[in-house]
Amino acid sequence: MSSLSIRDVHKAYGPTEVLKGIDIDIDSGDFLVLVGPSGCGKSTLLNMIAGLDSITSGEIRIEDKVVNDTHPSERDIAMVFQSYALYPNMNVEKNISFGLEMRRMPRKQRRERVAEVAQMLQIEPLLKRKPSQLSGGQRQRVAMGRALVREPKIFLFDEPLSNLDAKLRVDMRTEIKKLHQRLGSTIVYVTHDQIEAMTLATKIAIMKGGVLQQLGTPAELYNQPANMFVAGFMGSPSMNLIPAELVASDGEPAVRMVRKDESSMLLPVGDNPAYRDWIGKPVILGLRPETITDVGSAEQDSPLLFQGECLIDVTEPTGADVFAIIELNGREVVGRMRASCGAKVGEKLSVVFNMRHAVLFDPQTEGRIG
Amino acid sequence: MASAVDTGVQSGRFWRVLIYVTLIVFAAFYLLPLFVMLVTSFKSLDEIRQGNMLALPLEWTIAPWISAWGSACVGLTCEGIHGYFGNSIKMVVPSVLISTLLGALNGYVLTKWRFPGHRWIFGLMLFGCFIPFQIVLIPMSQVLGLFGLAGTTAGLVLVHVTYGIGFTTLFFRNYYEAFPNELVRAAMIDGAGFFRIFWRILLPSSGPIIVVTIIWQFTNVWNDFLFGASFAAGQSAPMTVALNNLVSSSTGVKEYNVHMAAAMIAALPTLLVYILAGRYFVRGLMAGSVKG
Amino acid sequence: MSDTTRTSGDWLRQNLPRLVLSPSFAITLFFVYGFILYTAWISMTRSRMLPKLDSFVGFENYGKLWKTLNWQIALDNLAIFGTLYILICGVLGLLLAILLDQKIRAEGFLRTIYLYPMALSFIVTGTAWKWFLNPGLGLEKSMHEWGFHSFSFDWLINPKMAIYTVVIAGVWQTSGFVMAMFLAGLRGIDNEQLKAAQLDGASAFQTYRRIIIPQLRAVFLSAFVVLAHMAIKSYDLVVALTGGGPGNATEVPATFMYSYTFTRNQMGVGAASAMVMLMTIAAIIVPYLYAETREKRHG
Repeated sequence: MSSLSIRDVHKAYGPTEVLKGIDIDIDSGDFLVLVGPSGCGKSTLLNMIAGLDSITSGEIRIEDKVVNDTHPSERDIAMVFQSYALYPNMNVEKNISFGLEMRRMPRKQRRERVAEVAQMLQIEPLLKRKPSQLSGGQRQRVAMGRALVREPKIFLFDEPLSNLDAKLRVDMRTEIKKLHQRLGSTIVYVTHDQIEAMTLATKIAIMKGGVLQQLGTPAELYNQPANMFVAGFMGSPSMNLIPAELVASDGEPAVRMVRKDESSMLLPVGDNPAYRDWIGKPVILGLRPETITDVGSAEQDSPLLFQGECLIDVTEPTGADVFAIIELNGREVVGRMRASCGAKVGEKLSVVFNMRHAVLFDPQTEGRIG
Repeated sequence: MASAVDTGVQSGRFWRVLIYVTLIVFAAFYLLPLFVMLVTSFKSLDEIRQGNMLALPLEWTIAPWISAWGSACVGLTCEGIHGYFGNSIKMVVPSVLISTLLGALNGYVLTKWRFPGHRWIFGLMLFGCFIPFQIVLIPMSQVLGLFGLAGTTAGLVLVHVTYGIGFTTLFFRNYYEAFPNELVRAAMIDGAGFFRIFWRILLPSSGPIIVVTIIWQFTNVWNDFLFGASFAAGQSAPMTVALNNLVSSSTGVKEYNVHMAAAMIAALPTLLVYILAGRYFVRGLMAGSVKG
Repeated sequence: MSDTTRTSGDWLRQNLPRLVLSPSFAITLFFVYGFILYTAWISMTRSRMLPKLDSFVGFENYGKLWKTLNWQIALDNLAIFGTLYILICGVLGLLLAILLDQKIRAEGFLRTIYLYPMALSFIVTGTAWKWFLNPGLGLEKSMHEWGFHSFSFDWLINPKMAIYTVVIAGVWQTSGFVMAMFLAGLRGIDNEQLKAAQLDGASAFQTYRRIIIPQLRAVFLSAFVVLAHMAIKSYDLVVALTGGGPGNATEVPATFMYSYTFTRNQMGVGAASAMVMLMTIAAIIVPYLYAETREKRHG
């Protein structure tokens, strides 16, 4: 059953259009993450789902009921805000139960529900405290408690972790994921952090400039990005995008790469029928850093492994790995090596290119080929 | 955060002394009139005529205060100023409460429930409290007459509420501007309506600005003279008007001690508020001049 | 939920904020702008003791106003009073603020003393200063008793000097407020700039002149607007201190308006003078309010 359906939704403030026709469908139990750079319209879209922003045109349905003109309180949704939006004058218990009180739930029942939620989030000792007496992580929990207690059809999260420090953010991320798995609730979650998107989502909608770029599972977005923007946005360090010419090598499509010492090498990209029309034309080659490795850490069962000597320009050790920067076709290209591979700046290293995961883009439209 | 230029090396001792002396001289300048007022109000008329204005009373007497309160002649009646003091209170309390409540609601609407044109409405209301009130004297006296409110305390309350809401709205608007919108949105999703959000979410967090507004309005209304002199005649006049009548009446002997006692009585309420809640008083002054 | 109940409920829900605001706005429209228009109309009629709405005479009253000696005196006085009042309050306020900002012990106490006159009514201020400057029994007598027999201070009854007593009392009442404004401005300046200036070798005086005071531009503007607007409106102080006298020596536009409208039965001229006051204040206040309330992008 479709839990939330967004049909050709537009949003305009005067002459400026901030959402240009968004279509998204998710099922009950889905965890949809809206991700994109700031100003892409993701928060606006979330507010429109919540009913806090009006819809210029199009349709939003929650469980097959059009909610365009339904007041936020009647949409059966709950929201966790970026600033948590805890009522400063009420203690934690009151904060959590306020929504139930507004819905005229009897006091006794309210208490039971609050207790239940407090136990689930382990905030029972905090119930009598005021928000100002809580730490960032505790506030975050209370804000989630306020949403959970309502048992809504859809939970909306608006960048809920962005005010936490790095470590706490990772902990809370795990917690949210566990909660979702346990309750099986439907969630729409806004973030600008692609790692959050990848780790949490069952479905990701990536947006830019008010346009939906791609909607799919995290794996789909990562492995088959619809365009260069998606390719560059998902993954860290981001995908290498190298201008190259597609040529035929022994009848197979391959890209020509010129190294720093001006020697060139041919890297076959696999026999995708869509590539044939592009032979002899410029393309953009997309290679993730983890597909450019030292010999020892290459994916051994890949049918498309190619080796070549490359000059190392810069190394960035991260502990377990070393990101090594080489130059191909005049571009800086990042590869991911084991720390023990012996890469040294200014020296050559035998580098393996795993072309099984290579993608090609049309330099004009920036869309993926094939 | 002090911005004083904090030289690790102490600036010369001479300069420090000079600074303190200057500051103390000015403190004397500001205190002197109050001091003179106070000592004069405790002297007998004879001592005033013969002695030094700046000297402490040789014989302290509270007779001037008693006379000012209960028997001094204001205009033709000689019952002191206590009735006018009461008038001022009857005028101030409702004016302050009504204008503060309206200001709070207006500020709430103008920040959390904006609609097209809200800036114009606010601008027009704000300008209303800076106009020279001479411009409204003629029509206001007619309108008050029309409503049968001429010369009454109720009429003055209407006037003070009318010309006070610009400032009260300004105060609450600036305060609520900084109040997170997300709280209002959260309450909306929780199912609270317009008034419920106001009473349950905003108002409980508005303590400081309510105090600031009440003090500001109290001071302004209590100290007003122009409206009181224009619209409240005779027995219904507020304190400031009565004081002026008492002091400037040209009949009989000028009882300076009684005048000063009456002036002190007129000054006491606002002075007391200032001493007890000076911080809020200053905040109001600032908010009334430096916005944002 | 049925559709019919929703539509009526929704109408109320959508328009409730406007409904709540509307009484205040209606009051403002009627009692401020309606009244301004009414007074503007009166100023163009031959109204004397009572408004005569059907006796339109155009700008005749404004011509009369400018030919009235009292109005000329009032304008001269306002120019003297306004200039000195703004200037002295500004200088004194800034000076006191800078001195108080030198890590002064008992700063809070001194600040309280400097600012308390602001809590008083101008009528009380006027009464106090009238007594303090009383030529027979006041300051002059005190000085004589202390041996300064040649000391003479008769400004209060000297037509040439009386307006300056208004300046003194006005400055006494308001300069503490200006001090508070400047002090707030000084406290708002980032401390690190001052440290940087020190490292650059600037003396305290240079730091104030070159770095701090230029950053107080907004406070200067606010102080000017507030003081100018108070100067133009000042009525109570003059009434309580000099009553506009001796003679008409301290007549100001506000007292002029009152006496011509309500005691001299020249309502048309009085209304015209009120309009002139309004225009003057509007010329100062409107640009200021516009700049101050302009929507700050992002927020």
